Amino acid sequence: MIGWPYRAPRLFGAFVLTAVLASAGPPAWAAAPADLELRPPNLKPAPKSVEAGMWDDSDRAEAHTRIAAELDTDPALQAYVRGVFCKIAADYCGEARVYVLDRPFLNATCFPNGYVEVWSGLLLRAQTEGQLAYVVGHEVSHFARNHSLSKWNHDKTTRDVATVLTVGVQAGAMFGMVKVAQSGAPNSRQMIDDISDMAQNLNDLIYLGAMAHIMAYSREHENEADRLGFQRAVAAGYEKSTGPDMWTGTIAESRASDFAAVRKADVRASIYRTHPLDQDRIDALKAQGGVVAAPDIDARKRYRAAIRGHLGSWLKDDLRRRDDGQTLFLIDRLSEVGEDFGVLQFYRGEAYRQRRHDGDAPLALAAYKTAVGYPDAPVAAWRELGEALRRAGDKPAAAEAFETYLAKAPDAEDRWLVEASLKTVKGA
Amino acid sequence: MAGCTTTKVKSAAPAMIVQAAPDSKGLLIQPDVQLSLVTASGMHAVRADWSQAAQANLAAAIANDLKGRSHPFEVMDPAASMEGRTGQLLRLNEVVGQSIFIFEYGKPKLPTKKKKFDWTLGEGTQVLRAQTGADYALFVTCRGTYATAGRKLFSFGAMFLLMDVPLGQQKVQASLVDLRTGRLVWFNVATAGSGTDIRTPDGARDLTHSLLKGLPF
Repeated sequence: MIGWPYRAPRLFGAFVLTAVLASAGPPAWAAAPADLELRPPNLKPAPKSVEAGMWDDSDRAEAHTRIAAELDTDPALQAYVRGVFCKIAADYCGEARVYVLDRPFLNATCFPNGYVEVWSGLLLRAQTEGQLAYVVGHEVSHFARNHSLSKWNHDKTTRDVATVLTVGVQAGAMFGMVKVAQSGAPNSRQMIDDISDMAQNLNDLIYLGAMAHIMAYSREHENEADRLGFQRAVAAGYEKSTGPDMWTGTIAESRASDFAAVRKADVRASIYRTHPLDQDRIDALKAQGGVVAAPDIDARKRYRAAIRGHLGSWLKDDLRRRDDGQTLFLIDRLSEVGEDFGVLQFYRGEAYRQRRHDGDAPLALAAYKTAVGYPDAPVAAWRELGEALRRAGDKPAAAEAFETYLAKAPDAEDRWLVEASLKTVKGA
Repeated sequence: MAGCTTTKVKSAAPAMIVQAAPDSKGLLIQPDVQLSLVTASGMHAVRADWSQAAQANLAAAIANDLKGRSHPFEVMDPAASMEGRTGQLLRLNEVVGQSIFIFEYGKPKLPTKKKKFDWTLGEGTQVLRAQTGADYALFVTCRGTYATAGRKLFSFGAMFLLMDVPLGQQKVQASLVDLRTGRLVWFNVATAGSGTDIRTPDGARDLTHSLLKGLPF
């Protein structure tokens, strides 16, 4: 029943209202007073509060994590990440439980109960300890400012207002429809339909406005956490480039994606985004004294030493995201440090092998060849080198690579498979 | 608006059920309960105190119900048993329970499970049997909401405007697992009626009575 004339004003109205609601409130950087109130250490929520409910949810999430297969159990890595947390947030060090999860995405979270998740995808993407510290500092700041609770309260108020408005619209529409029906006008049926449509459109508009208002508040929180996280990083002695560098890195990684939607995702501003654009985050951090500078090579080497043992397994996990363009970008960046070429070249080969674009096969072969020249090459590099050589038709070299694999990994589970491959290249 | 507690039982085909021997032992996994409030505009907030009260009440009521039956049974606290194979089985039961809730009680149907109730945790449940000596395990999960006064007022007023504003609802699901085969032999979902408040011992007892009425154990 809704004709097109109703659609145009509806969309225009939605745009105006959402724009007004989204821009309501002070600008992001002025949002918080100079002396921000931080939550006291070892806070316990009141038993019947909304906050206690959030703790209950967080406790359940933590209980699952404690026994999750994706929990990284390397005590050295756990201690290192916990150490970074305590450097950046000495105030909450005592109550925090820091868990490293093997999840190949850039993320970390501080739950209201002191349960902290740091994902391996963040550890792989941070180039220095400072960048890791900046992101952890950002998350700690959400925690320190009780953002989840204030977001809940803000969402509640927003939705209450929207509910009152919706009821008002509905009541007005009912009143109008009854009046029209009583008037007995010849076109009353059409008029009632029109009123109903209009009420529906108005209510859609109220909903969209409320959503935009909620998202705007979320972006304010992100901006505040960026600023406070940056302050924490600087106070802990990390470089002023750590914050901006983190976002510069994510922009570059987005652009390296195999998927157009990912490449474009971070350039479209929207009133419905939960997070600000990365470029806006960089600009805001610069306004806070942040600088854009290539990360210090010594700092990168020190950080690499802390995560070295996990580099291979994290890259393997990253390949499962099936965005080989991004994985190759990460490998390029990791290679700048000038170390770990055996591991990095092997996974470069794996990324090309998995991607299978035209011309990727020789690139994979070249990467495997380079990898086996370094002492840190995973033993699988010889197997894959053998396979790549076999496909390229170089049977003698393939046989040699397979034999090296079997010599280096005599107890490999796939020994029988590689022996079979060896037979085919030897023509037996 | 007052409603009675309703239940909806699903059972495995009789051929799949091995009748419980008179002396076979049961294992009661302590119920997993989480209750929330729902505000006027539909926001949910977990209430830890309600969850704890209902958990204690349901646990006591279920244990009491089982005592009235002929089989011996043992109680297991899942929070203390989340390590190793036992913990894996508890978590497996959790996701299988969620799937049953979706595909047996909801709209979407799995093509292979349209005609009969055919769910299992797998023979790995024998680990639990070896550990506890129980032949059957009873799992109970409860999720629910209670409307605030504001929500109730809004819902009432909204009726006059032909708007449907749902109030709180509490659902408890129970499953009986044959630990020899892993098969779910019996599954029930009870929805609390408006006069039944599981945060009170009486309400929990009423709901448990409806929930376990046809339990083949």
